[in-house]
Amino acid sequence: MEVATPAASAPRTGGPLVFDAIGRHTISFLEHLGMYFGLIWWMVRNLRNARESSANFFSQMVQIGNDSIPIVIFVSTFVGMVTAVQSAYQLYSWIPRSVVGGLVIKSVLLELTPLLTALVLAGKVGATITAEIGSMRVTEQVDALEAMGFDSVSFLITPRILAGVVMFPVLVVFGDLLAVLGGLFGAVIVAHIPAGAFVAGMKASFLTRDALFGLTKATIFGYTITSIASYQGYYVAGGSAGVGKATMATVVLTCLAVVILDFILASTLL
Amino acid sequence: MITIRDIWKSFDERPILRGVSIDVRDRETLVVLGRSGGGKSVMLKIILGLLKPDAGSISVDGSDVLSMTYPRLRELRFKFGFLFQGAALFDSLTVGENVALALRRGRAKHELELNETEIAERVSYALDVVGLKNTERAMPANLSGGMKKRVGLARAIVPSPRYMLYDEPTTGLDMETADEINVLINDLRTKLGVTSIVVTHDIHSAFVVGDRFAILDGGKTLMTGTRTEIENSTDDDVRKYISSSLSTSRTRLT
Repeated sequence: MEVATPAASAPRTGGPLVFDAIGRHTISFLEHLGMYFGLIWWMVRNLRNARESSANFFSQMVQIGNDSIPIVIFVSTFVGMVTAVQSAYQLYSWIPRSVVGGLVIKSVLLELTPLLTALVLAGKVGATITAEIGSMRVTEQVDALEAMGFDSVSFLITPRILAGVVMFPVLVVFGDLLAVLGGLFGAVIVAHIPAGAFVAGMKASFLTRDALFGLTKATIFGYTITSIASYQGYYVAGGSAGVGKATMATVVLTCLAVVILDFILASTLL
Repeated sequence: MITIRDIWKSFDERPILRGVSIDVRDRETLVVLGRSGGGKSVMLKIILGLLKPDAGSISVDGSDVLSMTYPRLRELRFKFGFLFQGAALFDSLTVGENVALALRRGRAKHELELNETEIAERVSYALDVVGLKNTERAMPANLSGGMKKRVGLARAIVPSPRYMLYDEPTTGLDMETADEINVLINDLRTKLGVTSIVVTHDIHSAFVVGDRFAILDGGKTLMTGTRTEIENSTDDDVRKYISSSLSTSRTRLT
């Protein structure tokens, strides 16, 4: 696929500068959107070409999944602890202590673990994907793949997106467990809530659909982060400086996309 | 045979190629000469369908490249080997894996259905041909520029292509390594009958490997012909280009 730069040199129209700028940015945004969906459509239509890169899929699962475990451990455990301690602090004087367990499990499953894991991985995974593919683009490695007869989209992008879609929910399940353990630790050690009361509150409030909602969010976030990052890397232009800019854009765009989608999903699915 | 007809290509409204027409005959090495930034590399990418021209036509063995569906274009690319200017090796793969990658393409339906032992043997042979025996486990980051280029050449020749495209094969190399690369290019033509297009601004190497020459200037084909025809040309622009290139080459040699 040929690299294009949307609206890079759109001609000036002679209107007021503010409208000129709005117009150019709108056109550029729409062109980017069109190219993004074009890339995804290409990927879906040529899914069978990805058989040639099955090894890539497994290495990406390791990179996105295994290599993210340390950061997920830290984030989830501390989020669970903070949630328990703050819930206990805010509600301590006027409700039963078991409610803290219920609050922790609800907050963790529905919101905190999927959202914070996605935001952290937007930086780590998203930036890595853009930098990798972008560097390959500017050093002609993407052209080399195509010249050898590989479908570069199926070879580079499909494995990353599929690995993201598979591994994000796995990381969130792992994060949920750690956040609950962290919450228990925070509740017992810091807030001095009996473990039995905390667990009883958790059991009373646990709903399977909450867990499934969190996993649905994780799957969508996984797709969003890896696809935006891949798009940014694949269409990078302007040498190593361009790779830097694209990597920064990936972090900003994926974080924005995640919080916007989080609101939309909560509004529609809950 | 490769036929390039009236190719036009612009980037950001800046014309790079302005009606280039070249024929490449079977089993010959055609050298495309011209100044840096003159669109020579762009032309190679257009031949393989990596870039689309604004106008013109390209045919390989009688098939129109520009109207091909993507699956047919991929099949066509199986006939080609491409040595990129910077070698374009995959940093995350070893030298052996880089070279082997060319044998794993389109494995589902391509005739190159090799088992791992056969792939290893062919990789070893290709690396031996370019003078890099037993380097399979090295990482590209630990290689010199010349070695990278030779690995890139091994990767290009390992599937036994019918056509080879060389993008500045000797640029940035010391004289000895450049001469070795030139010998390899000649061997591919004489021993295997490979049809080659060599893009370069190194006129010394061009005269070593080329059967015919095309000079690009200002995005147009200034002249196409044999060495004798070019050296005896009465066209002022051709004479000016050849004399300035030869003096640059002599300066480099001394």
